[in-house]
Amino acid sequence: MPTADRQLTSVDRVVLKRVMDLVIPPDGDFPGAGGLGLAEQLERSSQRYGRLRSGLLSVLDAMSLDIASRIEGGFAALDEERQIAALKTVETNLPAQFGEFVELVYGNYYTDSRVHERIGWVGRPPQPEGFDLEPWDPAVLENMRKREPFWRQVG
Amino acid sequence: MTEEPTLHQNEQPVIAVDGLLPPDVVDILIVGAGASGAVVAWRLAQAGFSVVCLEQGRWVDPALYPTRDRNWEVLGRHEWNWDPNKRAAPVDYPVNDSESEITPLMFSAVGGSTIHWTAHAPRFHPSDFRVKTLDEVADDWPFTYDDLDPYYDLNDMMMGCAGISGDPAMPPRSPRPMPPLPLGEDGRHMAAAFERLGWHWWPSDNYVNSMPYGGREACNYCGPLGFGCTRKAKSSTDVNYWPEAIRLGAVLKTYSRVSEITVGNDGRATGAHYFDRAGNVHHQAARSVVMAGNGVGTPRLLLMSKSDAHPDGLINSTGLVGKNLMFHPYSITTGLIPGLSKTWKGPMGNILMSQEFYETDLRRDFVRGYAYQLNRGSGPLTTALGGAHEPVSWGGGHHEDFSERFGHNVILAGIGEDLPEEHNTVTLDERLTDSNGLPAPRINYRLCENSKRLLDHSVKSATQVLEEAGATRIMANPLLRSGGWHLMGTARMGEDPERSVVDGWCQAHDADNVFIVDGSVFVTAGAVNPTPTLQAIALRAADYIAHERDDLKG
Repeated sequence: MPTADRQLTSVDRVVLKRVMDLVIPPDGDFPGAGGLGLAEQLERSSQRYGRLRSGLLSVLDAMSLDIASRIEGGFAALDEERQIAALKTVETNLPAQFGEFVELVYGNYYTDSRVHERIGWVGRPPQPEGFDLEPWDPAVLENMRKREPFWRQVG
Repeated sequence: MTEEPTLHQNEQPVIAVDGLLPPDVVDILIVGAGASGAVVAWRLAQAGFSVVCLEQGRWVDPALYPTRDRNWEVLGRHEWNWDPNKRAAPVDYPVNDSESEITPLMFSAVGGSTIHWTAHAPRFHPSDFRVKTLDEVADDWPFTYDDLDPYYDLNDMMMGCAGISGDPAMPPRSPRPMPPLPLGEDGRHMAAAFERLGWHWWPSDNYVNSMPYGGREACNYCGPLGFGCTRKAKSSTDVNYWPEAIRLGAVLKTYSRVSEITVGNDGRATGAHYFDRAGNVHHQAARSVVMAGNGVGTPRLLLMSKSDAHPDGLINSTGLVGKNLMFHPYSITTGLIPGLSKTWKGPMGNILMSQEFYETDLRRDFVRGYAYQLNRGSGPLTTALGGAHEPVSWGGGHHEDFSERFGHNVILAGIGEDLPEEHNTVTLDERLTDSNGLPAPRINYRLCENSKRLLDHSVKSATQVLEEAGATRIMANPLLRSGGWHLMGTARMGEDPERSVVDGWCQAHDADNVFIVDGSVFVTAGAVNPTPTLQAIALRAADYIAHERDDLKG
């Protein structure tokens, strides 16, 4: 379990950016989570929620201990297939922490306005504008109103 | 994800008092300012009783709800989470739920869990009050649907109900004060699928304004009702009952956590000790005490209130306080329908309901039944994190998985009738405490075989109707663990003092000046959201006090 006050090193940050791109990869010409430049923001936002911070540090620590990475001279030196394999090993061995890390990546990616535009979300909070719906139409109940009452009678 | 705190963190008085200063000894002391406490405060203040309510939480300014924040979905998972263990605010008490198949959800504030509910407002069926007679399980209630009907009506007016008469699944009833909320494209689509199968559906009753009502705005269909309503279009007791109760003279003290109901030598309640925000202990004297702290908080406080007269906890001579805990077990079946494109548009919860499988049918392998609530999709982050299902996959298939779900997901929540079982309990934890050092509640809860079979049936039927609706992919969660919105049965009512804690008027068998008006008193659970029923019961109990207990008025 990493200590809460552990700070990210420059190597951590390189690994983080790459791992973010593996978690949410580029979509055509649209960058992945790392390529969007969200790593710094992710690091800052993790400070606010201890559970997610712990997930982030656990995953980074586990990546640094990955044997293939150590032999090859670091995670960044591995090819993509082996990077994914290393990440899946972490997911298997630390499922809760990995889930927290994924929540952190998704939390930063899916609150980004560029992503909102890309996926067709309105890109604003639900309020104060809200949304429009077609007005209530009582005609939709025409068939249901023909059904006989079927609630259970009580003597 | 922003880093600035958005919760209302302004310094407050140690005890914030709304209303005039109360007399030294009040007629009615209410514990808890949520759905039912507000009801009793209003009704009894109206009847001329002096009323004080102690609430451990605070007033929440609707302008500060997270739906105006760009990070509303993140805030909803943390500061505004429905689970007190995840929210972990000082005004919350933690719950040891490690031995429970369902985690209890609640909110400590004026308005209680009506702050974060989705305001679905169905009524129990007449059969729900006669379960023992009809199906030979559990027990009958000490009153009938007809006894409660006028109080349902009164509560619908106070809370503001949007809905429409003529539902063949329910007895005839008075008109609601507002028409239903619009069904939306997804609601109409699913209604048609139910009809093609010959299955019942009906627009949900909701305590959400479909037009301006009660001095509050109409809903603008923003979606996430569960994070509070900045427009006050969704009803919660902090915006309807409480302002009226305070105007009528009720006094509401926030940041006031009750630690013990005090009693005299005769075993009758004399008031309550409570902590203020700074940790100072006070005593509020009262001629009677009304418990309204929910189906977990109320038994917790009763069990903490031991005395010579009540050695096993207040009004617990039967040992039933804390037993027979019922949740509504939920199954969640989600269909991805390519023909729908923006299922995040509109109120998230309870577009329509189906009660096709509500009543007992001996051809099935379970008794009692369940209802469906049709719910909508949500925002991008909630979709990515899966809601009640597995998160969107990471890696190569991520974008395809996300696109398949986002805007195309409709959710059928199967809400099942739980049965009371004494081994499902609320007790006091031996180690875990709240911020005042008071013991936290511990939940022991196992789903019974009947409920498992019922939930399995609900998933199969939901799959059938979603396929009929054109779903190309269906995801099923047969038991939503984080679905303990409804907390019931832990101080059940009944006419037999050997087998119940309170009588049909919510008055304790063991002390005639102690009343319980929250979900603790439920004998059975029905298969619908309980709040209209518990509020109607609270109104009925308050009328009993007003008309029959003049001795409690100073």
